[in-house]
Amino acid sequence: MIWIIVKKQLLVFWRNPQQLLLLLGLPIILIAILGASLGGLMEGGPVSIDAKVAFIEHGNEQTQIDQFLNEVENSKLPKDAITAINNSTEKMTPITILKEDILGSDELKNIIDLEIIKPREKANVLNNKEYAAVIEVPENFTYQTLKSIYLKKGTTGEIQVYKNEGNQLGSTIVTGILQEYQEQLSFSTFAGKQGITEEALQVDPNAIIGETVTINQKNPVTAKNYYAVGMAVMNVLFIASTIGSIAFLEKRRHVFNRVILADVSRWVYFIGIFISGTIVGFFHLSIVYGVSWVLFGLSWPNPLGFFVVTLGLAVSVGGLSVLLTAICFRLNSEMITNFFGSIIVTVFAFLGGSFFPIGDLSKAIQVVGNYTPNGAALTAYLAILRGDGISAVLDQFAFLIMFAAVLVTIAAISFPKRGQIV
Amino acid sequence: MLELIDLSKKFKQLYAVKNLNMFIEKGEIVGLLGPNGAGKSTAISMLSSLVDPTTGDVRFHNKSILKNPSPIRKIIGMVPQEIALYTDLSAEENLRFFGRIYRLKGAELKQKIDEILELIGLTDRRKDIVKKFSGGMKRRLNIGVALLHNPELIIMDEPTVGIDPQSRNYILETVKRLNEEKQMTVIYTSHYMEEVEFLCDRIYIMDQGNLIASGTKDEIKRILSAEKTIVIKADRLNDIFIESLRQDPTISSVTVEEKKVTIIVPKEINIFPAVLKLAEEAKLELNSVDIKTPTLEDVFLHLTGRALRD
Repeated sequence: MIWIIVKKQLLVFWRNPQQLLLLLGLPIILIAILGASLGGLMEGGPVSIDAKVAFIEHGNEQTQIDQFLNEVENSKLPKDAITAINNSTEKMTPITILKEDILGSDELKNIIDLEIIKPREKANVLNNKEYAAVIEVPENFTYQTLKSIYLKKGTTGEIQVYKNEGNQLGSTIVTGILQEYQEQLSFSTFAGKQGITEEALQVDPNAIIGETVTINQKNPVTAKNYYAVGMAVMNVLFIASTIGSIAFLEKRRHVFNRVILADVSRWVYFIGIFISGTIVGFFHLSIVYGVSWVLFGLSWPNPLGFFVVTLGLAVSVGGLSVLLTAICFRLNSEMITNFFGSIIVTVFAFLGGSFFPIGDLSKAIQVVGNYTPNGAALTAYLAILRGDGISAVLDQFAFLIMFAAVLVTIAAISFPKRGQIV
Repeated sequence: MLELIDLSKKFKQLYAVKNLNMFIEKGEIVGLLGPNGAGKSTAISMLSSLVDPTTGDVRFHNKSILKNPSPIRKIIGMVPQEIALYTDLSAEENLRFFGRIYRLKGAELKQKIDEILELIGLTDRRKDIVKKFSGGMKRRLNIGVALLHNPELIIMDEPTVGIDPQSRNYILETVKRLNEEKQMTVIYTSHYMEEVEFLCDRIYIMDQGNLIASGTKDEIKRILSAEKTIVIKADRLNDIFIESLRQDPTISSVTVEEKKVTIIVPKEINIFPAVLKLAEEAKLELNSVDIKTPTLEDVFLHLTGRALRD
């Protein structure tokens, strides 16, 4: 009997092409618009920006190295130590590493357009808004750094960065790279002072670049992928209000009374609504992701994880559907479905991060957002996209099922009892 | 077969139905008559087990249905006042869905759908979507759905509202046929007096939640045996004339329509000279003054002082 109710519900959906088009077309259109307009902000591969960076170097690095080695040679250090420093200094060229191995690396070439500028042109470059950042290496930087690392005298030199506030993205990237670079230099100094091995005294360009362009060494999430998921998890909530509206129409037209008079338990109808919401929600998500795969190349590295999260979210939609239906029946008004569709979904979408990664703004909002069905599902989907296994999404899955269970319980309590329905 | 005992339903402070007593015997057509808001639909909801009464009982074959409504639900076919159908589905899909929830399936369901479509004259339109149907066709399908499981008792709540005369006749003939050929018991509510007069063996008249009269058609009309109904027609009625009629102590009821005044007076009184005199005083030119055979409408008028469709 439940299946008869579900089948009819699916048929009613199928016979409303305009409604179907709206439910399926809207997320696809939103994914395309948001993905295209905000794509550059979140690309996980090479960032599609062109940051022009000026590099001003005071003094010659080789001269400073020679000066340092000369001092070492004339020092009272043991012969073995002098040989070791000579050997390792061949690899320790901090400015060359920064210029060629880091800023000039293949990974950053597409992002950073590095120009070597003479110190006398500094004022002109600083006034030129085309540059995202100006990097200035002070006099004796290499000499001081080597002295600090190997002879434990003084501190490493400090590189000056001038940021162009008009090109925040480019300047932030450059600053981030240099901060990392400076930290590694400082670590080398610390390690040298603590007698740590020679390998530790090297600046690792790959570590610096890697930290900048990917997040925690996981698969990057592109803007289109992010918004495909964000819009899908938001729009699937509209299924609940649509099913609530259809159910209320059944009540208003006395079709529900006919079902009851056929001696069908109202709980059969109730479960039918829950299952319909779950099935339609699951198909809705599958279709939106299917289209996203075809149009935007959204693919899932872990299909089982994807299935688990989709199922969890679909069950939540089922719970929401039956709750909205119960409240509509109880209040004898469709007001709640309209309120849910226009206000609550928007609030959920905002908190859950469907419009933008709100968790970046506030940890508290991120926590609250994870207690919305769309927010929990979004977190889980993103984890799967980044390459996490199914164990990483079990918490969200459990939350979605619990969320549905609570809604179904509230719905069952609110659903009008026998003899109360007119 | 079915008995309503002191049935009342109170919504907040208002009684929709108050102390209603009714009985329905197998195979009869019972009319439930009354204007909008009289309490007919609430009474039907209670007797069909959809709504619990505030007080009173509904007994089916001498057993209360309040705690166990299943026995009556199995034999009831309900035709609500609203078009209780899925308008986005075809006629056949509607019948299939409701047939399935009435636990029909396979060949039996298919045969029943064909039979019902034939009965309601929609065989040629079986694949058409209901929202494209005329009002009359929707009403016929609305009835057809209620007949799918061969109900013993069919309850029809104003089944002819808002349809053309041809569809209305079709529905009335169908109801009559179902009763005569299949001995189906029918409870028929309407505020169309002529429908109730045509169909019903016995009639209950309700007004403002109360039962104000009951009996066979003849029994009810005999309420007016001591009175007669006179219809006065004029091109332009005026207030002086109407007021004069209302102040005449021998006239028990005055109902004014556009160019017509209906009055009820005791049978032994010759009211003609008085009416002519009042018309002359009001400078009114009368077109006609007729004595009418009493109808149920006149009974209702007599009992409530209002017309049924007010």
